[in-house]
Amino acid sequence: MRLLHNYHYVAAMVLFCIGLYTVIVRRNIVKKLIGLNIMETSVFFFFISLGYLDGGMAPIRVGKADPSRMVNPLPQALILTGIVVAVSVTALALSLVILLYRQYGTLDVDRLMREEEQSETAEREERG
Amino acid sequence: MKRTVSLLFIAALAALLLYVVANMPPMGDPANPTATHVIPRYLENAEEETHTENVITGIILNYRGYDTMGEVTVIFCALAAVLAVLGRERRGAIEGFVDRSEVVSSTIVRTMVRFMVPFILLFSLYTIFHGESSPGGGFQGGAIIGGSMIVFTTIFGLAESSRRVPQRIRAALEGAAVMGFFLVGALGLLGGGEFLTYAWPKVAPGLQPSLVVWLTILVEVGIGLGGAMVLTSILFAMIREEEIATAS
Repeated sequence: MRLLHNYHYVAAMVLFCIGLYTVIVRRNIVKKLIGLNIMETSVFFFFISLGYLDGGMAPIRVGKADPSRMVNPLPQALILTGIVVAVSVTALALSLVILLYRQYGTLDVDRLMREEEQSETAEREERG
Repeated sequence: MKRTVSLLFIAALAALLLYVVANMPPMGDPANPTATHVIPRYLENAEEETHTENVITGIILNYRGYDTMGEVTVIFCALAAVLAVLGRERRGAIEGFVDRSEVVSSTIVRTMVRFMVPFILLFSLYTIFHGESSPGGGFQGGAIIGGSMIVFTTIFGLAESSRRVPQRIRAALEGAAVMGFFLVGALGLLGGGEFLTYAWPKVAPGLQPSLVVWLTILVEVGIGLGGAMVLTSILFAMIREEEIATAS
């Protein structure tokens, strides 16, 4: 059974769906960010497990290590890049969240939207 | 209603993803397409071509050096954006902040953190300097330094922490990763190679292997220091914001 053997991939897909659910359904922005991070982690996990090799070893050429039995180094190198970009995105998003909270005093997306609409209508009434 | 619709959407997506996963080649099989195309070349030739035992470091810093240079620029831009949004703490004004946290950390915690942080820093130095021959490297070591700074700042507060890592040092070192890459790239040009090649074919043919190793370590140190300082500065900017909020 292919799915049982590829349980790493299945786990990554489940994590991805959990993260997406959090991003869509949760109203708290910080929780949305956590969901985004879960999605990122699931993609990293998927990528790393793509490079796995049965009985493989770390791709470090020490002594008489056999290169044909080493795991795939390319996903690991790429995911290092991905992790750094994820950290950058999270830092920037969190700082924007801090500003939002200072401005509106809430992290709830629905209330943020309502306040935004109210301020817009107030502006329109002032002009008209 | 919204919840039901999104659940339906996610269920459809999950079914699609599972269908794709069920048709993927078995994991860990040496005959997989992922293991048969570019990878054998990297694994066979990395040591001769990049002079690093760790193939991953060879790929990050040598085969895909441009990629990593862009990545280093990304984290630097993230810091610039965070500072543009939140603002950097002012020099001198930082002593005015008092520790407003309601829970005073106990003596045990303070002693333990004071005891642990030097060892964490030592381990991060090992991770940075040994990155070309064992698991590790600049980003990992920088992240460990950043983690030790987070622990220290959480326990001892921003004033104490920014006294240990003053702003002028951080401001000077934040660009260390990008600068290190450009410096090594320019050195490669001077040595008769191309930009960001570590080889010096015209100047020092006899010195080649050790030169490549030292230039790689230089880039690793730059990435480590730069990454650590970027993380620390982001942390300080966020904590300063919180202290302003509690003060007002």
